[in-house]
Amino acid sequence: MSKSANIAAAGHALWANTPKVNTELFALTYGSLITEILRDYDQDISEVNVQLERIGHSIGVRCVDELLAKSEVNGINIPMCRDLRETAEVIAKIGFRMFLGVNCDVGKLTDKSFSLYLSENPLNIFVELPSMSEDEGGSGPDWNQLKYSNIYCGVIRGALEQVNLKVECSFVRDVLRGDEVNEIRVNVKEVLAEGAGEDYHEE
Amino acid sequence: MNKQESPLLFLIVGRNEPLYSSEFISNQKPTSDSITRQHYFVMHSALDLVDKFAFTYPQMYLKTVDKVNHQMVSVFLTASHVKFMVLHSGKGDDVLKQFFMEVYELYVKLSMNPFYQFDTHITSKDFDDRVRVLGMRYLL
Repeated sequence: MSKSANIAAAGHALWANTPKVNTELFALTYGSLITEILRDYDQDISEVNVQLERIGHSIGVRCVDELLAKSEVNGINIPMCRDLRETAEVIAKIGFRMFLGVNCDVGKLTDKSFSLYLSENPLNIFVELPSMSEDEGGSGPDWNQLKYSNIYCGVIRGALEQVNLKVECSFVRDVLRGDEVNEIRVNVKEVLAEGAGEDYHEE
Repeated sequence: MNKQESPLLFLIVGRNEPLYSSEFISNQKPTSDSITRQHYFVMHSALDLVDKFAFTYPQMYLKTVDKVNHQMVSVFLTASHVKFMVLHSGKGDDVLKQFFMEVYELYVKLSMNPFYQFDTHITSKDFDDRVRVLGMRYLL
């Protein structure tokens, strides 16, 4: 029990030491990013979801080093994760807390997957998905398919890839679609082997 | 039966056309079509007066810009020249000002939505519901 208290405390301490940005600016910037991508891909919602995930991936691969470096600098020791539960706790309590300042809970833990619950999401504070009018019928895009915060899935996938965990990440519940909480499901596909590729093996 | 019916019309007008409208009727008797069309006509003719006051009056709330028979048009002008107009018969200035300020807050929140493009029709059901609640509270 004390280990999870340590992790939560580490998260709060790291959040206190990171430089902050205005929430509204952050949300509005992300909103414009979404509308730009929508325009680029001609309102093709599934393509937009894929692009968001890809952008998140590039962010995620840098996040792990950032997290470990910041904690070293601040004298906080994050012990190596021995199982999936500890990995999930670190992502939720330290990762989300440190980078976004939000509270994130872990749930539905099995030995190959877990869920992350976000009650508050700084990205969608002003957002309301456009309603589909009846007369448009099938011509307008299906806004319910848009995974507005899909960037988080990419970040988690990218970050875990750096620590040799290949995962699949997706949004199963979204407050913009009417659910009470945001839920991200993370499934571990495989644990990658340590080390560099074949070319670097010694003869 | 000379019951003063005082239907109230609230319009949000953008650069070129109305973006949102809602009617508040105090008694449940439905007004006939011709009366409602006349209301829109009165509002339209008040637009010129709004433009006249826009650059001379320092406040956003322009109070009453026009008076036709017993009906008055009061206008609130936002920084981006979106006009909130209310057609009424003798509501107090303070009450209208409060109504306009609250609608302005709702409008600002709506415009922060990345999916709402400036100067387009307002189709959000949430916005509509909230404006109706405000209208019931302040204008009736």
